[in-house]
Amino acid sequence: MRFKIKVGEKEYDIELLETENEIEVRVGDKNFYFQKEKEPFLAKTKFDKRDFKEKKIFAPIGGIITEIFVKEGDVVKKGQKLFLLSAMKMENEILSTFDGKVKNILVKKKDSVKKDQVLLVGE
Amino acid sequence: MKILEFEKLDSTQKKAKEIAEISNPWTVILAKEQCSGYGRKGNVWYSPKGGLYFSVILPKTKIDDVQMLTFLSAFCVAKILHEELGIKPFIKWPNDIFLNGKKVCGILTENVICGKDVKMSIIGLGLNTNIEMFPDDLKNIATSLKIELKRDFENRILLEKILKGLKEVFNIFY
Repeated sequence: MRFKIKVGEKEYDIELLETENEIEVRVGDKNFYFQKEKEPFLAKTKFDKRDFKEKKIFAPIGGIITEIFVKEGDVVKKGQKLFLLSAMKMENEILSTFDGKVKNILVKKKDSVKKDQVLLVGE
Repeated sequence: MKILEFEKLDSTQKKAKEIAEISNPWTVILAKEQCSGYGRKGNVWYSPKGGLYFSVILPKTKIDDVQMLTFLSAFCVAKILHEELGIKPFIKWPNDIFLNGKKVCGILTENVICGKDVKMSIIGLGLNTNIEMFPDDLKNIATSLKIELKRDFENRILLEKILKGLKEVFNIFY
């Protein structure tokens, strides 16, 4: 690709050549080489795939389910206590993020759960 | 840092949970004795007069940070006991502190979590300072500073040092 650029009163003849890894820019009789930028690295996160509109309750941390305060079919309100999850020296009350009905409880008392594991599905 | 002191409470954790939403972070609930002090899984924490029992309402932060603080709190208390009293406590991972093979301090953190939001974090600590003797079912597994070192301790001074330590740890990491 050839083109002209005018900077102030001076005009430059430019030629652009592209190979797989490089871009060569000829300005008059001078050559400049540029390496193509590699694809930016994107960190993979499980977190972004979560759909918080979905009526699901996730384990915020790994641990053991020590109490389940609701049963399938129960109507729950946002902020209602659903589980007690014991992690290393921490007791965690897990509250509902939605108003609705408990469709499935996917864990039992004393189950060991991983971080981000789905504990309950609502509807 | 505000310290609310009570002669007697069911549990400093319970009281802290009740007032957490209307209190500033680093509010401390202190009781001279607890009638239903508890540890993890609701286990009873023997809390007669003489011991140091308190709960701290923590600033809201990420769950992983609260976990880290919980782990570091035992180190913090052990360091203070070492520096102030010249003793070498043993930390049983993650955060019970032992002296001569018996438990002298227990730490428990409780969180209330809604989705991604940690709505409340409270760390509670029971340190057996001036307890002269334990009932039969505990005397082989629990001890106090007084039993081990044969003297009395100023709970208030230890409390202030521990709070300062916790706050330092919290500020370094978060």
